[in-house]
Amino acid sequence: MLRALRKLKEKDDIIQENPMKTLIDVFTVALPLLYFSTVWAYAKAFFKDSAAAKRTKTPLLLATLAVHLSYLLLRSAFFNHPPITTIFEIMSIIAFSIGAAYAVIEFQTKVKNTGYFILILAFIFQTISSFFIENLSEVKPVLRSSLLGIHVSSALLGYAAIAISAVYGFLYLMLYHHIKSSRFGVIYTKLPNLETLEKMSILSIIFGFSFLTVAIAVGLIWLPRAFDHFSYFDPKLIGTVFIWAMYGAGLGAKKTIGWQGRKIMILSIIAFAVSFFSLTIINVYFSAFHKFY
Amino acid sequence: MNLIAVGINHRTAPLEVREKLWMSSDEIRKAVADLKGRPFSECFIVSTCNRTELYGMYNSSEGDSENPPDVDDLKDRLIAFKSAGSSVHREHLYHMVSSNAIRHLFKVASGIDSMVIGDIQILSQIKDDFNLASEEKATGPFLHRLLQSTYHVGKRTRTETTITEGAVSVSYAAVELASKIFSDLSKKTALLIGAGETGELTAKHLNGRGIGGLFVANRTRSKADDLVAALGGKAVEFDALQQMLAHVDIVVSSVTSDHYVITKTDVQRAMKERSHKPLFMIDIGVPRNIDPAANNIENVFLHDMDGISAIIDGNLQKRRSEIPRVNEIVLEELTEFTNWFNSLQVNPTIHDLRTHFEQVRQEEVEKNINRFSAEDRELLDLVTRRIVNKLLHLPTTNLKNGNEESDEEKHKKLHIVRSLFGLHKEQMPKE
Repeated sequence: MLRALRKLKEKDDIIQENPMKTLIDVFTVALPLLYFSTVWAYAKAFFKDSAAAKRTKTPLLLATLAVHLSYLLLRSAFFNHPPITTIFEIMSIIAFSIGAAYAVIEFQTKVKNTGYFILILAFIFQTISSFFIENLSEVKPVLRSSLLGIHVSSALLGYAAIAISAVYGFLYLMLYHHIKSSRFGVIYTKLPNLETLEKMSILSIIFGFSFLTVAIAVGLIWLPRAFDHFSYFDPKLIGTVFIWAMYGAGLGAKKTIGWQGRKIMILSIIAFAVSFFSLTIINVYFSAFHKFY
Repeated sequence: MNLIAVGINHRTAPLEVREKLWMSSDEIRKAVADLKGRPFSECFIVSTCNRTELYGMYNSSEGDSENPPDVDDLKDRLIAFKSAGSSVHREHLYHMVSSNAIRHLFKVASGIDSMVIGDIQILSQIKDDFNLASEEKATGPFLHRLLQSTYHVGKRTRTETTITEGAVSVSYAAVELASKIFSDLSKKTALLIGAGETGELTAKHLNGRGIGGLFVANRTRSKADDLVAALGGKAVEFDALQQMLAHVDIVVSSVTSDHYVITKTDVQRAMKERSHKPLFMIDIGVPRNIDPAANNIENVFLHDMDGISAIIDGNLQKRRSEIPRVNEIVLEELTEFTNWFNSLQVNPTIHDLRTHFEQVRQEEVEKNINRFSAEDRELLDLVTRRIVNKLLHLPTTNLKNGNEESDEEKHKKLHIVRSLFGLHKEQMPKE
């Protein structure tokens, strides 16, 4: 017993002194600061028209994402499981997903001045994560699966993308009402035009829908094999499939009926609200086997 | 520096007065040719609808810095040149000298002296009018360097400030608003109702932004045909404009009518037909042509003159807030130009002073050389050279170290030195 305890302590000391662990600790502190600097640069560019901020914001975002990706990979390698075992690890992945999804949209659309409204979410998630994250080496064996890693990462990327689509939908509605009521302030001057905001929102939905498709496909293959109590009637599973179907139907309606403008933006916000409800209330109170923390 | 500016602009005279002094290219050529030599060694004239300004560098031989050319005489010459004595009086014209004249030119080039703040079309007009003076050989190294700095002010203003941004005319503001709704105007079509001036200008700007298609409807069909011939697009029957609403994305209406040309029901019907695709309508008619209630329909953006004026006022306010930054640029460039000018003024004076002393030394040495033995003659040359160098050391240093002195003080000092030692030769800056 004594020998076992000594061995455990030695292992703990090794962990404490390991340079990889030191790097993880440094990144844990650095990431909220990096996200803060990025959000600050995007805010300065949007509200103050700062030339320096305009130049530095995108490189700063890419650097932050590079550090964040290294951080997630380091955690996976060092603790020997994907960083999806606690709610605070998940939050860090959500922050990364939001940042990465926004970066893709910025590169795709070349619209560079809406980052503040999106990246502030990434900053909040990462800050909460960095404050409360624990370094767990011992986790349930089921959480070590790499298939689970793909399942959870694509689900989170999907949710991050639909959250972004809701933010763009919200910005669309703000600009829509400002133009309608002849209010020509910062919102009117700085936001991209309505068509572009709508395009960005729809693009985010397409990303989100694609990632959710992957998450559901991987989940349906892996979940029945990994859990004895698996049930197709699990509320979380039904909720996710419902969200997926809702976005799929919306995209189909846009394509076939030609919905556009205010109506489809309101729908994107409602769909996100439903998704948020599914992710929080259903996950916490109703999910059975499909709940880990 | 011997620069003087005389002019008239929107601040000092109403349009009907200042237009009397407006000069065509040929008139500018004649005027600068007339002014070159007497009283100016270099000069140029800028003439636009809002200002006519003469800039001239005067000769010291004609009048030194203490006594510049008679300003009233210059004003009279400008008025007489245009035979405008009955409408234009001396009081309508202003004048500035030295660095104030340069500062004024820089402000004009930056657009903060324009009638519409930030309108820097004036920069290309300055360039064109300056070229006219150059072709008449009325400009020289001083004005060429001054123009370089003027362009630099204009360029920095455009790149370092936002004073030129934002629409400040009804037609531009309408197009700016359309660009806030649609991302690519080349995929959109516009309908112009009426062939009024503002509507036509708006259509021109939409064309400039590459609008995908333009339709013109007017009560008098021939006017619509004329406009289409000038702008391109297609003329449509005035009675068919309600049907057209379903097929265009932008409507600009400016007809005189005592009832609404487009009602809310027309728009509702059109929106259904166009699957509720956004429709942007600008109503610049007085009284209004489109029922304001149409703005309550989803995806319809209707704006009248009040809305457009709000955009223009906002943009003008933003432009005005940039004036302090532009003034900083003007001051920086003025300091740089003045430093350049002073360096050119000081160095030739020192050179002339040294040449004068050396001449005196050589004359005296030659006159008295025979009084010295052959072996002492070399020594005589050396000693006299040293005496001259020692005598000139302090005055040279003092002239060079005058950076903290004002332009006027420095000029006075150089003038005194030149007068005291008889260095009368006119010094002009060289490029």
